[in-house]
Amino acid sequence: MSAFLSDIPVLTTRRLVLRMPESRDHAAYARFFADAEASHFYGGPLAPHQAWDRLAADIGHFALRGFGRFVVTLDDQTIGGCGILDVDGWPGHELTWWLLPEARGRGIAQEASRAVLDWAGRSLGCPTVETHFRDENLAARRLTEGLGGVLLRRDQFPDGFDRDVYGIPTAQVAA
Amino acid sequence: MILLSPTPILTTQRLRLRAPVAGDWPFWRDFAATERARFIRPAEFDDGKSWRAFGHVIGHWVMRGWGSFVFTRQDDDTPLGMTGPWYPEGWPEREIGWTVWSADAEGKGYAHEAALAARAYAFDKLGWDTAVSYIDPRNARSIALAERLGATLDTGAIAPASDEIACLVYRHPSPAHRQGEPA
Repeated sequence: MSAFLSDIPVLTTRRLVLRMPESRDHAAYARFFADAEASHFYGGPLAPHQAWDRLAADIGHFALRGFGRFVVTLDDQTIGGCGILDVDGWPGHELTWWLLPEARGRGIAQEASRAVLDWAGRSLGCPTVETHFRDENLAARRLTEGLGGVLLRRDQFPDGFDRDVYGIPTAQVAA
Repeated sequence: MILLSPTPILTTQRLRLRAPVAGDWPFWRDFAATERARFIRPAEFDDGKSWRAFGHVIGHWVMRGWGSFVFTRQDDDTPLGMTGPWYPEGWPEREIGWTVWSADAEGKGYAHEAALAARAYAFDKLGWDTAVSYIDPRNARSIALAERLGATLDTGAIAPASDEIACLVYRHPSPAHRQGEPA
């Protein structure tokens, strides 16, 4: 018994493979969301069953929109996620990523983001995508600026927080 | 185009049951925003949460290989509600759930007709030997449907953990006790 989402691309970079999230990624989601510090900007910490709900919702996003947030794998181990989300009730086409703590500080988010930006430009026809991070998320700001992000505006978001909104061109200068 | 497949289609006398599709989302959103959804949504609720909840319904199909069906009339693909096997992580047992999305679709026996077919699918095709339904004790319509389906209150069974209200657990008659039910 099985059900699949067909035609989901796989993105490959020098070190990474980005693929559709699956049931077997629950352990990585659960570990990330159990870590209060790592998941602070992602609504964590969450119990394992809540992490399962997030994983299911990430899978469903692909069916609802035709794109979504891939899992990032290194040597076939899931170490994070990166993709484009467009959640109803929230400003659209956001580049988003998460990484397990041990995967940080090695340029992985940037490498994954470049692959996602390239795919968003070519396959989704987005000339730019946005990032929406909290002011205190300095790592996200650095990454956004490293990807050529430009401050577009400051908005109040549905959760009540004000955020800087950056636009990142999807046509990236080769790294 | 990303499609969920292969997924079964069930047919009853008046209805068609199929896996959810992206086009069902606005109907779910509108349902979730009404008071009619008060028993199945969190107290703090917004469109973003509703979106993730509907994505979760589709993701459940991918993760478990089965999930909740959207039911429609046979001649009109407009979604009327959802019913089917449901077992997200953290659920004590496998459930048959249901929602009716618009007041227009109530009072016609649609949810009963659809839930019967979905339950038969869980027992006959998925091989379940028992099933429960978790119901908010204030949800009189849902309790009435559970009873019409032959389910009985199981006070010894564990309900899903909740910060809000403890659900009642209704247990469905096991497959061996369903003789005489329409196929």
